[in-house]
Amino acid sequence: MHGEYKVPGGKLIVVDLDIVDGSMQRVTLSGDFFLEPAEALDWMAAAIEGLPVATPAETIAERVRTAAAAAELLGITPEGVAEAVRRATQGDVP
Amino acid sequence: MIDEQLALWRAYDWQLVRGAALQPVMQMALDEALLDAVAAGYRLPTLRIWEWAASAVVIGRFQSLRNEVDPDGAQRHGIHVVRRITGGGAMFIEPGNTITYSLYAPASLVAGMSMVQSYAFCERWVLEALASLGVEAWHQPINDITSAAGKIGGAAQIRRSGALLHHVTMAYDIDSARMMEVLRIGREKLSDKGIASAARRVDPLRRQTGLPREAIIERMIETFRSRHGLADSPLTAEEQSAAERLAETKFATEEWIRTVP
Repeated sequence: MHGEYKVPGGKLIVVDLDIVDGSMQRVTLSGDFFLEPAEALDWMAAAIEGLPVATPAETIAERVRTAAAAAELLGITPEGVAEAVRRATQGDVP
Repeated sequence: MIDEQLALWRAYDWQLVRGAALQPVMQMALDEALLDAVAAGYRLPTLRIWEWAASAVVIGRFQSLRNEVDPDGAQRHGIHVVRRITGGGAMFIEPGNTITYSLYAPASLVAGMSMVQSYAFCERWVLEALASLGVEAWHQPINDITSAAGKIGGAAQIRRSGALLHHVTMAYDIDSARMMEVLRIGREKLSDKGIASAARRVDPLRRQTGLPREAIIERMIETFRSRHGLADSPLTAEEQSAAERLAETKFATEEWIRTVP
């Protein structure tokens, strides 16, 4: 499953994941945003990995925010990641 | 304000690196090697002007290879695909068609600035050089250099171990048809730009100035030199071999190129 969301005034966030037995697996994040340190990309993906597909966007955003608390994000927001996840899980490919 | 900004630059003894044309993977490696050299204090703050030895797609640190690059198109045109250490978007490079440069400096150069402020700060001298050639350009947050006629270029930064890398690619000329064969540019990315064609968003410097590429680069160097001071400083043998090592052990590896598959 694949979802994309362009943060208004920011950058593109892309989420690829599989849905296995109702949960999100093999979650990868990508896009043309800026992150320091680079490892924060994996921290954020890990915060989504294994969550039930029905997890509310607010919960996803909160988990991503916590995972990336020590990182500097530019052009990407936790809410934007949650929206890209929502689009991926709903098959809402733009 | 401007004088204060100039004083920040003038606090350093700036060096210029202008070497031979390099393969794309060596460009990526040299950027990291020189950032490390400045961080470690082996090299003074440096401006490097790039020359490309081959065509390339350079994708950002966090971009998905398969989402950004059409592998058949790249192979058909003999285009190298490399990943850089900074975030940001994919760039299509053909030798002679871009003006690319890097700044390597102690992070103290941009102390107290937000990331967006530090992009604007690092681009002032270039905007001044372009203005002197009749191109009114400005910094468009987050990281674009743009003009009334269209986007000119994009910047990316990374801060590491107390050092800053700021690198920029500006379009001098552009083969839009070929670019569209090699880059995958999705509709979502353009959704808040209000323009359907990615190619039309760029207005290259050749069209805007009518000048040879070399003349624009010379003006950039003159402008930097008069604002900030600049002394020639060729790559050392150590820097060269550090870059070659990084090219081989990191930037040329599938592991790095596919780090975000």
